[in-house]
Amino acid sequence: MITTRRNFLRTAAAGGASLIIGFDRLGLIKAATAPTGSAFQPSSWLRIDPDGVVSLTIGKSEMGQGVRTSLAMLLADELDADWARIKLVQAKPTKGSDLGTGGSDSIRSGWKPLRKAGAAAREMLATAAAATWQVERNTCTTGDGAVVHGATGRKIAYGDLVSDAAKLAVPENAPLKTAAEFRFIGKRTRRIDGHDIVTGRARYGIDVKVPNMLYASLERPACAGAVVAVMHEDRARAVHGVRNIIKLPGGGIAVVADSTWAAIKGRAALAVEWSSAPKDAFDSDAHLQRLEAASRETGFITRKEEPPAETGAVTQTLEATYHYPFYAHAPVETMNCVADVRDGRCTIWAPTQAPERLQHRVGELLGISPDNVEVNITLIGGGFGRRLGVDYAVEAAAISRAAKAPVQLLWSRADDMKHGHFQAASVHYLSAGFDAAGAPVAWKHTKAGSFHNISPLDPKETRDAGWYQDWSWGAYDVPYAFPGIQTAYVAVDLPVKHGPWRAVFAPSSVFAREGFIDEVAHVRQADPLAFRLEMLRGADVIKAGTTTVDRRRLRRVLETVRDQSGWGVKLPEGRGRGVACNAYFGHTYIAYVVDVALGMDGALRVERVVAAVDCGVVVNPIGVEQQMEGGIIWGISSALKGEITFRNGAAQQSTFADFAVARMRDAPAIDIHIIESAETEPFGLGEPPVPPIVPAITNAIFAATGKRVRRLPVRPELFRAAS
Amino acid sequence: MKAEVTINGARHVVDIDDDTPLLWILRDRLNLTGTKFGCGVGVCGACTVLENGEAVRSCQVPGSELHGRSFTTIEGLSPDGTHPCQRSWLEEDVAQCGFCQPGMIMTACALLKRKPDPSDADIDQTMSESVCRCGTYPRMRTAIRRAAVAMRGHET
Repeated sequence: MITTRRNFLRTAAAGGASLIIGFDRLGLIKAATAPTGSAFQPSSWLRIDPDGVVSLTIGKSEMGQGVRTSLAMLLADELDADWARIKLVQAKPTKGSDLGTGGSDSIRSGWKPLRKAGAAAREMLATAAAATWQVERNTCTTGDGAVVHGATGRKIAYGDLVSDAAKLAVPENAPLKTAAEFRFIGKRTRRIDGHDIVTGRARYGIDVKVPNMLYASLERPACAGAVVAVMHEDRARAVHGVRNIIKLPGGGIAVVADSTWAAIKGRAALAVEWSSAPKDAFDSDAHLQRLEAASRETGFITRKEEPPAETGAVTQTLEATYHYPFYAHAPVETMNCVADVRDGRCTIWAPTQAPERLQHRVGELLGISPDNVEVNITLIGGGFGRRLGVDYAVEAAAISRAAKAPVQLLWSRADDMKHGHFQAASVHYLSAGFDAAGAPVAWKHTKAGSFHNISPLDPKETRDAGWYQDWSWGAYDVPYAFPGIQTAYVAVDLPVKHGPWRAVFAPSSVFAREGFIDEVAHVRQADPLAFRLEMLRGADVIKAGTTTVDRRRLRRVLETVRDQSGWGVKLPEGRGRGVACNAYFGHTYIAYVVDVALGMDGALRVERVVAAVDCGVVVNPIGVEQQMEGGIIWGISSALKGEITFRNGAAQQSTFADFAVARMRDAPAIDIHIIESAETEPFGLGEPPVPPIVPAITNAIFAATGKRVRRLPVRPELFRAAS
Repeated sequence: MKAEVTINGARHVVDIDDDTPLLWILRDRLNLTGTKFGCGVGVCGACTVLENGEAVRSCQVPGSELHGRSFTTIEGLSPDGTHPCQRSWLEEDVAQCGFCQPGMIMTACALLKRKPDPSDADIDQTMSESVCRCGTYPRMRTAIRRAAVAMRGHET
């Protein structure tokens, strides 16, 4: 059930019995019955009913990161709630809301508001109980959904207090617990929705059914600008169950039918042949050549540190070029959306990470206000950034408008592979300068890449160093202590759709940076892990562009994987051990030691990963482990499995066979060490595990084979030839 | 055509086109949406159901071949989610997004019926026929071993 603010208020007014608190991402809290000013637009709600059920309405989308569980833990801790009685409700976007889920931000942004709301409610309930008993507030304690008067052993359940508590003013600064007082935060906590998942009751976007809903499958132009050359509309209409064939403004042909299967069959019967691609249609090989040429340009300098005067002159230079390909997100749930356009409004049910963007784009399409686009956010069968794009919702709305009916649009697997907003290719040119004594004194990293194009760039934004740094995470924030540092970004136009993908810009830059620092260590004949530690000497905290990097945290994760992995032991022939590390925005610090084994057939297998992570305060250790494991396996896919290539303007891959992803046989033994952090806040962990895993693998490959991998994904042929 | 098919012990007569895959009969006609669509060509495993305890890819079973057959979906695996595989999946905290998990659980059930004491290689081989993009593989391995122990204990 979706509960809106209006429903809340209505319930509160009718029953007058529930305790309801609205709050926003800044942690401003108010009782729902308080007069609302324009300055306060709550996006989240806490409600406690007389039966003791605690409902938490939040906007964050659940896509496997366990956010419903971990955010509920934050609230439950300060509220001293009974965990079994907490219910999660998905918020809808409202005017001025910002419910988007991305950037590994949910726990960070929820940390204060949810705790403040929980603490305020607890304070109100305890005050109400104290009044009932006519005792001092400070003689009352709370726990498991009840207020207790220790001296007399009396106890009142929260549900029995909400009516009185709701009449009290919401305290603005109710005291928050200290870490020692946490009862949920830091404790291994099972997924709140786990039972629904294992019984098939969990409802994702694809599972939405609304009355009189029709089903659509959409044939899209094979490449930009292609038009229909041949199409058998009559054959499609003859398919049993096909209702309508709709030509969309963008050139797509939608088949609308009574069932999913009829829509799929109808689309196949259309047998559309598209006009041949223009001569200059997009080709990924040619694009990578353009990127490589661009990587030699000076570009926009994103960070420059001049070496101190006493630094020795560069007498020797090492340089290398790293190629990073295109990837698809390939979540198992393909893109889908139910749209119902009628009477100047549109209702959407969608697995989306970006509900407000969806409102705006659908509003633009239909010529209506975004406020008239109601978005119901469903569970998401894999997000990974793909569902920050809203293309599939705009398509569904266009089809519903033409069909004059609620329509579910479901993308086929091939649609999903070919029409994604891909992780963009990039090329990285790196060089290191050594002085006459062989000491590394200069570092240069130029990234040639592309700005995202799933939403238009704001032309009014000032394109300063900070702006360019946003396109080159992992490059400008190099943590190593080279006396001279220059990082730069060269923008290369990319006409195919591309956008955020798990860890966004960091994976390519960190692959290049952590590969090249290994190369520098090799030139120095240094142990690559010890060399990294040596290069993290000097100032403990450095300002790298817009990011602050705490080298102590980075050193600690490196030392942990060194000590836990048996680093330094010589491995048998055909095996190798590699290391890499990263500070994600200076927030989350991760290091890996990876063991790989080279098979007789040239196939590489990641056998073991030892990981150390410092993500600040750990809210749910199970969630930390899951995100680490998932990020590691995501990286194994991108290091060793499929890539997306383009010929004649179209992606060439269409299945899990030609865009392979890791399977169970590819999963290594994983040993995760969670650092007890000195930080007092939690940081994100959806994206940070991804960037350093790929270079740890390729560095292990170098240790095993002597071959330096500078182009992804790794091809087994490379090693077959050697043996 | 009309096909008589038993799903989770209940008999259904469905009027369908003879090429309609079982997957879409389950999802669109019987509203059993726990069985997922992931690829439609039998390579991802999201649509796996059981027939006589064996794993079947429901996207590959056409309506014309359904008559008289009986299938179990995730909704019918146990009355209350207490099948040893479901329990071990929860105990090992396997799921992330959860979308592929019904198919994974059904695949694991079939493996354990065929091989009550599977080797690690058996588990890897069977489960590698299916795709989980969240990367829950290590936990699934552990959960399957745990379920195997529970099921063998149950039998003796």
